[in-house]
Amino acid sequence: MNGDPTPAASTAEPETSEAGGEPQEAARLHAITKSFFGVPANDRVDFDLRWGEIHALLGENGAGKSTLCSVLAGLYHPDSGEIHLDGERVDLASPQQALEHGVGMVYQHFRLVDRFTVAENLALGHPETGFVASRRSLERQVAELGRRYGLEVSPKAAIWQLSVGEQQRVEILKLLYRGVRILILDEPTAVLTPQEAQSLFTTMRAMAADGQAIIFVSHKLDEVLEVSDRVTVLRDGERVGSMETADADPAALARMMVGRDLSTRARSRTEAGSAALSVKGLTADGDRGIEALREVDLEVRESQIVGVAGVAGNGQRELAEAIVGLRRSKRGQIFLGDVDITRTSTLQRIKMGLGFVPEDRMRTGMAGGLPLTANLALKAYRQPPLSKGPLVSKRAVEERARTLEKQFDIRGVRWAMPTSLLSGGNIQRAILARELSARPKVLVAAAPTRGLDVAAIEAIRQILLDERDAGTAILMISEDLEEIMDLSDEIVVLYEGQIMGRLDPDDATPEVLGMLMAGRTSDADAEADAGPDAGPDAAAESSGDSA
Amino acid sequence: MSLPLGAFELTVERQQIPSRLVRMAAPTASVAFGLLVGAVIIWASGQDPILAYTEMAKKGFGGRLALTGTLVLATPLILTGLAAVVAFRMKIWNIGAEGQLILGAVASSGVGLWLGDNGIGGPVGIVLMLAAGAGAGALWAGLAALPRAYLNTDEVISTLMLNFVALGIMNYLIFSSFSHWRDPSRATFPVGRFVDDSMFLHRFTGRLHIGLFIALAAAGALWWALRSTRWGFEVWVTGDSPRAALYSGMRVDRKILSVLMVSGAFAGLGGGIEVGGVLGNLDPRALSLGVGFAGIVVAALARLSPLGVIPVAILVASFTNAKPGLQVLGIPSEIVTLLEGILFLCIVGGEWFLRNAVRLQRRAAGPRPVGVEAAPS
Repeated sequence: MNGDPTPAASTAEPETSEAGGEPQEAARLHAITKSFFGVPANDRVDFDLRWGEIHALLGENGAGKSTLCSVLAGLYHPDSGEIHLDGERVDLASPQQALEHGVGMVYQHFRLVDRFTVAENLALGHPETGFVASRRSLERQVAELGRRYGLEVSPKAAIWQLSVGEQQRVEILKLLYRGVRILILDEPTAVLTPQEAQSLFTTMRAMAADGQAIIFVSHKLDEVLEVSDRVTVLRDGERVGSMETADADPAALARMMVGRDLSTRARSRTEAGSAALSVKGLTADGDRGIEALREVDLEVRESQIVGVAGVAGNGQRELAEAIVGLRRSKRGQIFLGDVDITRTSTLQRIKMGLGFVPEDRMRTGMAGGLPLTANLALKAYRQPPLSKGPLVSKRAVEERARTLEKQFDIRGVRWAMPTSLLSGGNIQRAILARELSARPKVLVAAAPTRGLDVAAIEAIRQILLDERDAGTAILMISEDLEEIMDLSDEIVVLYEGQIMGRLDPDDATPEVLGMLMAGRTSDADAEADAGPDAGPDAAAESSGDSA
Repeated sequence: MSLPLGAFELTVERQQIPSRLVRMAAPTASVAFGLLVGAVIIWASGQDPILAYTEMAKKGFGGRLALTGTLVLATPLILTGLAAVVAFRMKIWNIGAEGQLILGAVASSGVGLWLGDNGIGGPVGIVLMLAAGAGAGALWAGLAALPRAYLNTDEVISTLMLNFVALGIMNYLIFSSFSHWRDPSRATFPVGRFVDDSMFLHRFTGRLHIGLFIALAAAGALWWALRSTRWGFEVWVTGDSPRAALYSGMRVDRKILSVLMVSGAFAGLGGGIEVGGVLGNLDPRALSLGVGFAGIVVAALARLSPLGVIPVAILVASFTNAKPGLQVLGIPSEIVTLLEGILFLCIVGGEWFLRNAVRLQRRAAGPRPVGVEAAPS
């Protein structure tokens, strides 16, 4: 296409006037194009970054945010386009070269050596680290950098001892220690508690105030509005537009991101029926043999969604697995209706009407290497019409897949293709299609919309609500607070394997939930009263306490 | 990934799996390429490649004698190939077909001798004898399968080690004891006692016996079972993702048990057929030639297709069959071994080239990062 893809993309470069003197421009990407397998992930994207600003890169999954960042970080070589750093055209052939130019990126998956200490990780790969490194001076430098930007971690702690939030701080420290002045953070808040996120924002502001430039990748509007100075929206690999955050209207941003208006759901609460799933005093071990679930009591009634909130790794997975029979429970009981299913097999539970949407879609929810036809038959293959005695009818399997494909609007399916090649949204639709077509009485849905784009999230949530209205009892485990608030009829918060609190969604604010998720009950109310005005400082302090 | 080569670089990127036609044609092209490479090596070693190839074809397939000889050699290879196919399909690495085949031969000859001693023979005897072979193979594999299924031990090690135990048992029965299996009339060199003539498998022409058709039927049965039964569906799912199998209520432990035992049964049946169709007795020298290990190669070359095992086993058997004849002509038999290796590499390599696009292109300004995942955001 030679014409303008969108009207907003034909913007003037705001920095062209700054020709003389100190360039205010930290980085400028011009017409970056990068394709994978012939599919453009970035299509002639322009992007500019000023010193001392936090520039948010907003877009849905697959909009090309990570690709653009990886180009700037030297990880990908663009098919075409130019990169200017500090006013000078550069060719970044590797992340090392980008680092030499002062550009560093914190990836979603951390790249730290678990057994090494914080200081050792910083020394690793640093050009000035000699054969013998001075541990003490290194540790002092780390501590100093940490103090300066509110990135406090003990330099002597081994990585495996640190929380995810602390590990992220180490990643940032590592880049600062290497002299990075352009910092790219790829969805940094995805792994953080609300408090940790606030602390990160404080750090980002401190760095920007120091004159450094930060690219903040996110698909969460609120965060972008809160922390950034400017925002650039990407959609389908193209730049939709850039603006000062102060001038940005949330609804307009959302529209730019999605390309359509978001409909807000009218809440219609149905009357909950009798208890469909009851969990009493459930205690279970995690994979490492340590109790991951302690004395959990839960009840989900017909026509009710109970949302389980919590930061990942606080027993959510164990709870779901114990309920569906994939994990042995040490103590306690699980009832389906009034039948005790604590000691029954997974298969029996399935037959009794227990459906499960697991968080790990590709290896648990689906056999990723198999075609979708087979995956849609995963549970139904035992019953007619799919099976006839010991045989499975290939034709019936395919017919069923086709019916479900239409019914649940699963798109992009070619039948011989491995399921893992489908998009996340379609995979999740397919899992729901399979689970719901069995007409379950109880559905356990773990992270039902994680990693999906806005349209898919919307569709999946609607499916869950419809299912609830049809009478199904749904236990929804999610780290997405918005989702918890929006869908749940009752909220429980899981923290370190225990129920930290139970809330009516009307009484739940993100602050209250966040405090409960971080393991605090007593001062949760006080914090909530302080509200958003309390700002980053309060949050930074509280997370500093917990560290 | 990329490899810098002066001003050029070799880049490798995963590509979408090509069309069915290409996938079908690829192994043929790989074999042709392998033969070409082999020809160059044969030529370089001072032999005439055309002569070598024509002789190999002649000794492997030319004429009734060569052809039946090849097919007889292919029979146990098909069965050990199937043994590997069924286990590998579920990513259970049964390296113990060798031992399972030996135990199958031990049980078959033992039952065959016992039946003969008690005046039972003919078709009933043959069926019982072969069933004993398959059953013993299954049980022997079961020894490794039980701890694998319930204690998650490493089946590679246990099946491999059981090979040596099986070999020890067989050698003991013939060489180190006056067992039921040993022929007491031969005092000089210990030999296994022969089963009754009525229990020899029916021969059609030359040495070609009914065992080939049992093996072909076994291949067909496995193909059908994997494709059309609930068991096959479960093996398919479990092989791809054991967690997804557990999640959908399948009993993965039982599947491991059944798959390994079916695998052992194929190999054991191979041992039984060798006794009934070729040897007539428990012959340690003839039963420890590595047919079990060769089955792994056959299965890999057949890309774990039960029907694909048949042509591959016949091809590999023809090589084996041609070896002594080439030796007579002054062509070293090592050339055949070499060719086997080259063909194996070419077919496995051809697979890889199907899945990865390799390009030689002029290098961009600097070296590009190596070992970086090429996933779009």
